Amino acid sequence: MIFTPQAGLKKSRMDWVLFLSVLLLLAIGTVAVLSSVAVLPAQARIVRVQFMAIPLGLLAFAAAWSLNYQIYQDQWKYVYAILLIFLAGVLFFGVMDKGARSWYRLPFFSIQPSEFARVGLILVLANFLDKRIGKIKELETVLGAFALCVPVFLLLIKQPDFSAILITFPVALIMLFASGASVFHLSIILGYAFISALFPVLWSVITLNPELLDNGLVNYFFRLSDSGWSAASFVGLTAAGAWALWRLSVKLYANVTGVYFAGAALVLILGFFSGVMVKNQMKDYQQKRLEVFLSPETDPRGAGYNLLQARIAIGSGGILGRGVFSGTQSRLGFVPERHTDFILAVVGEEMGFWGMLLVTGLYVILMGRIMQGARLARDRFGYLVNCGIFAMFLVYFCINFGMLLGFAPVAGVPLPLVSYGGSNMVATLMALGIAESVYARRYALV
Amino acid sequence: MIDRQIPQERLELLWILAYGAALLFILRLVNLQVLNAAHYREIAEKNRTQVIAQASPRGRIFSSDETAIATSKPSFSLIYFPGQARTNAELDRMARALSRPLSADYDALRKSIYRAASREKPVRLAENLPPKIMLSLSELKAVYPGIDIIVEARRYYPFGPYLSHLVGYIGKMDAKDWSALSRDKNYSMDSRIGKAGLEKMYEKELKGKDGGIYLEVDSRGKLNRVLESRKWVPGADIFLTIDSKAQAAAEEGLAKSATGKGAVVALDPRTGAVLAFASSPDYDPNMFVLSGSEREGLPPGKILPEFNVALQGSYPPGSIFKIITAAALLESGRVPPSEKFHCPGWYDAGSRVFKCWEKRGHGDISFIDGLAKSCDVYFYHTSQRAGALTIEKYARAFRLGRPSGIALPDERSGNVFGPSARAAKKSYWFIGDTLNLAIGQGETLMTPMQAAGEIAAVANGGTFHKPYYVNRIVRSDGQFLYRGRSLAISSVQLKDSTWALIREGLRSVVSEGTGQAAKIQGAEIYGKTGTAQNPQGKDHAWFVAYATVGDQPAKIAVAVLVEHGEHGASAAAPIAKAVIEAALRADLPARKAAPAPRVPAISTAPVAARAPVISTVPVAARGPAVSTFSFVSLSPAVPVIASTQPAPGGAI
Repeated sequence: MIFTPQAGLKKSRMDWVLFLSVLLLLAIGTVAVLSSVAVLPAQARIVRVQFMAIPLGLLAFAAAWSLNYQIYQDQWKYVYAILLIFLAGVLFFGVMDKGARSWYRLPFFSIQPSEFARVGLILVLANFLDKRIGKIKELETVLGAFALCVPVFLLLIKQPDFSAILITFPVALIMLFASGASVFHLSIILGYAFISALFPVLWSVITLNPELLDNGLVNYFFRLSDSGWSAASFVGLTAAGAWALWRLSVKLYANVTGVYFAGAALVLILGFFSGVMVKNQMKDYQQKRLEVFLSPETDPRGAGYNLLQARIAIGSGGILGRGVFSGTQSRLGFVPERHTDFILAVVGEEMGFWGMLLVTGLYVILMGRIMQGARLARDRFGYLVNCGIFAMFLVYFCINFGMLLGFAPVAGVPLPLVSYGGSNMVATLMALGIAESVYARRYALV
Repeated sequence: MIDRQIPQERLELLWILAYGAALLFILRLVNLQVLNAAHYREIAEKNRTQVIAQASPRGRIFSSDETAIATSKPSFSLIYFPGQARTNAELDRMARALSRPLSADYDALRKSIYRAASREKPVRLAENLPPKIMLSLSELKAVYPGIDIIVEARRYYPFGPYLSHLVGYIGKMDAKDWSALSRDKNYSMDSRIGKAGLEKMYEKELKGKDGGIYLEVDSRGKLNRVLESRKWVPGADIFLTIDSKAQAAAEEGLAKSATGKGAVVALDPRTGAVLAFASSPDYDPNMFVLSGSEREGLPPGKILPEFNVALQGSYPPGSIFKIITAAALLESGRVPPSEKFHCPGWYDAGSRVFKCWEKRGHGDISFIDGLAKSCDVYFYHTSQRAGALTIEKYARAFRLGRPSGIALPDERSGNVFGPSARAAKKSYWFIGDTLNLAIGQGETLMTPMQAAGEIAAVANGGTFHKPYYVNRIVRSDGQFLYRGRSLAISSVQLKDSTWALIREGLRSVVSEGTGQAAKIQGAEIYGKTGTAQNPQGKDHAWFVAYATVGDQPAKIAVAVLVEHGEHGASAAAPIAKAVIEAALRADLPARKAAPAPRVPAISTAPVAARAPVISTVPVAARGPAVSTFSFVSLSPAVPVIASTQPAPGGAI
């Protein structure tokens, strides 16, 4: 259905399958949001925003669809500049909410610039990769792509909005991968990201199991984050280890260049410093989320409780669900964040297995249609833009479902089109409009 | 397709990734929603409902004349519903605020609140609250959401220790009870169950079905609405064969006796129904209903005299055994009842001189006088003629050494003393043993219950019934669950002339012999005193008797034991007299009111007026605070207190 070559030959300007999926997801999401907020004190405001965001989003979708996407490539500098200005501006003019300064407050609604930033960054990256396609196998391309990302990331950390980074980083990786970047270079980046995430995770594990500290090595490792001296000793040890291994490989006549050892050591050291930085930047509640992911039973009344209650909600829905507007778990407040990050718990409880199957299926169709747009795109830029939007949906899909079903930590990531969230919805529909614009202009001659 | 210098297979790879993730999620969803749906549904239900169990009123216990011996009365309990969003500091503050009006220990209170919060189960913080602290509690209720007051039925024994050894008491479950009953949905951890006596034997019938208020709560434990208010079903009522007046007389007599220790058992000789069953010292079963704080300040040690003298006390029978000896003498045919023996006050058995209790001697004495005056020397002479084996045979026929079979736990069976019992122990029988056997000394032991069985058999011509004390059990809807039935288990076969002679002798005991203290105008009393020598202390006083009025068969046989009472004639006989008088009050000519001092309310409590106790204690009379006891503050639409009241006429 999704890969039939004939699909591309039809001259339709609009991918109706995609559009219908979007409308269906919006409908399911709206019902679930209405049900879950029925007993919330902020009900009126949430309903108002939801019903304002849908037409606004559809308007953005229509606008983006009718606009030729190639204009973003022409004017990429402005896109990038506006993106950075808006992200920087929120640090000064934004309002503080739940420990993060990430909202512009306007008379009728608030705007979260990071939601639009992830769409803008996709466009900027697509342009960059399109221009560098000849040198795509070189490390400079990969580093250049991330150099474009770094200012955005830094501004996001400053808010802080870890969830946006959690989405944008994999999107950038997938775009690089799709554009044919060297897998070795990507694994260096991935290794670096992995190590900078691994250190905080390991430290959390040790915090959770203090008896491990009896082991001297573990104790040393745990104290790495504390002082400059142990950090310096770690750097020294890593460098010495890499050098020793290199000498060993020379003695053994192994045909390995020293660059690999130096690179590995560098990745380890850089990852370590980023890890320390991440750990120090992590807010208490983020630390908690990480711990809960590592051992959900430790804190049944705290963050683990949320996950458990969401799982109970989904499970209790059964095959047919408990009926719309009659889920006890979500309506009585056992499921937290039920109109945003845990919206699927409401869907699962009230619409059952069939409802979940429908959402999953619609998402798969949606991703398939975006990818089809990429295949049929008239130019490489369109291809890359659609790859980026596909990657965005894939990452949201994996993290939100994975978090709910226990495959990933509770990350505060919504499910676009289904969850409540004005900026997210408008930005997502705008991204879909851009993808449709690529699809609509798939023939070079049109 | 345009060449974009891009490897297509990478696109395929990403696509597989998306499909794989979707497949993984669907598999997980099948696991959660299809395979384990029931499990999660159950958790979700538990999540949202909280139950306040309301203990059903236990079945009432009535005497045969329908005096309520055990009932229930309303009790107000303070409960705490844990909510989610409470910090420890808030809980501490609440515990501190509550500890003052409850006069409870702050730490203990705090502990139970914490436990409730961590288990997410409502907990009873205090039970049986006195009305005077209601006002202050209802004020606190407004400040600390989650605490509330509910009404429940609570066991109440209106006459305190009255009949306590038969009725038993209830108490909290221990680990053993819980493991036996935890599967029964009708019991919860804090249910109270019968721990002794009737309350234990008939736990199933008395229990009834607990009611409960099923509440829907939200995640913070805040009451959302009442899902269901299940009404309790009261337990079945038990009607005893006990005659409340006779019982009162028995307890009064024992309490007034010299030592205050002893037992009275009265049986209906025609059926084996227990008419009175007193054992002293007794206890107040209300004590066990009290919660911990209420029990404080009571004298320690006075709580549990569980030893049931009537069933578990084995005593040498002394002269009441002479009834059995007399039966043996007459049945042996070797002792003509008119033959006289000389009693100088002592008897020379060769190796040793045995004394008569009357030091001056009885002179020449025959069977009737020998029994009436309880002349030991007469029985020394005659027992040797009849033979110890014959006496032992009749002792066994009169069920010594065998329990009476009453449906109460831990009954003792006394001890048979005689040549064959001695031979079984591979020891010798001496002539002195025969003499001791004849007068009920030596190793013979009897419980008061067996003594009552003995005299009842004399009264009815030799039949032993299994004593029973439950007349009928009636469910709250009026259906009969059980009816007590007379059951003959064995009998003594004696010649009619033997019975006549023994009865004549027993009549003389009261009319002119040792038992004159038991004389009653208008009734013929047949009795026998007993003064059992006791190497450990003062003699035990016995008296067994039955009474007839006119030509009717005997309606009551009674055995009285006063531990260390010294003389059966003076210590035990008056008690027996009072019991018989009380039991036969309808047949006797009008006299001064029979003594019933410990149960003053009995005559004014006819069965028809067993109005539900709750409704006779008007809620409004408990002060203005009571009117706020409902869940009104939480849910204005549901007047819960009204639904917890039993229907008019409903039993509590």
